[in-house]
Amino acid sequence: MILHNFELSAECYAVRLLAAMLDITLELRRIDVFPGREHEEPVFLALNPLGTVPVLETDGASLYEWQAMLALLAARSAHQDLWWPTDEPRLIEWLGFAHRLAASIGPARAHDGMGMEADIDSCRRDAHRLLRVLERHLWFAECDGNHWLLAGAHPTAADIAVFVHVILSEEGGIERMDYPAIRRWTDRVREIDGFIPMSGVFSPLKAVEM
Amino acid sequence: MTIDPKRWYPVAASDDLPQDHVYQTRLDGRPVAIWRAASGDVNVWDDRCPHRGVRFSVGYVIGDELRCQYHAWRFASGSGSCTHIPAQPDAKPAAAIRAQTWPVRERGGLVWTGITPEGEPAVPIDGAVLRAIPVNRAIEDVEPALKAIPDAAFILQPVDTERCVIRGLAAPERTYAIDAMLERLRLTLETV
Repeated sequence: MILHNFELSAECYAVRLLAAMLDITLELRRIDVFPGREHEEPVFLALNPLGTVPVLETDGASLYEWQAMLALLAARSAHQDLWWPTDEPRLIEWLGFAHRLAASIGPARAHDGMGMEADIDSCRRDAHRLLRVLERHLWFAECDGNHWLLAGAHPTAADIAVFVHVILSEEGGIERMDYPAIRRWTDRVREIDGFIPMSGVFSPLKAVEM
Repeated sequence: MTIDPKRWYPVAASDDLPQDHVYQTRLDGRPVAIWRAASGDVNVWDDRCPHRGVRFSVGYVIGDELRCQYHAWRFASGSGSCTHIPAQPDAKPAAAIRAQTWPVRERGGLVWTGITPEGEPAVPIDGAVLRAIPVNRAIEDVEPALKAIPDAAFILQPVDTERCVIRGLAAPERTYAIDAMLERLRLTLETV
């Protein structure tokens, strides 16, 4: 599978991260979104008319939607039932929540890091409103002995989809000090076997201790 | 506001400090990192490595030491003394290199600190620790509003001039209901 990848995109990171956790090898093709704007060039638009990254090419077909790529990776793994529980509607609920995070933290990061235009106050306000909801959910989940977004002993694609946006929030000026349960949960995600970091994301201790 | 240097203030819940985690908050504008050593002891430190100023709260707990994320210098629980500098593995770090430590007590399921606090922290009632609710309002605006919430005792953590955290204790079976009341109160206070 070929992933057309921009290193700093949270959505691209989600696909790389889940693939790593599922031990699936992706062939990476670099798309210089910033500053090169390669995603706006005809050659890329021929690949993905939406002009967005990532794009996943597999068996001659392409996926444009990062969450569909997570579904595909789970389906190609030996543990689809663990990572993509089809009998749990809340999986879709949290994937939707991840889209909302992408629409607030994403533009805030692009504004602060790449000089893109955004209504920065509104982005940050929306992000904090979402993070408060996430914090409350995770705090009471911990009280019930649950470590992940969905009840159960195993993380799911929902954790990965939400994590990639949350963990980069400070690059958009959105601090996480007010969200202790979220900070503990991001520690837990970093401890999942196969975890890989990206620019702005720290590795777990076990990866840096020699 | 300026805090009372003689008072203890709650800055975390005991449950906020699982093994190998560094908790982050502020007291009256001062960033602090809070962590529990393998020994069980809780540390409240300036959230700033004395070497290059990187936040300790992005570092790692290793047993009874905190390891800075940047250059992996290590600092000891209790004293805050630097114990190890990777670039000089055979040298004993100078005694002057230490994390800035704060007074600390763990009482009533809460972690308390202060500038030069006197006596012991006053735990208002026995009970379960409520979820902490940060509010973007000054403590003076929040304190009177809490009187409307029954069956709980509250202690406020001053975070910044215009921000505080509501911490509280209540009977365990009441925590979810009170949490919902506090959420509504926060929305009301912040939209005034």
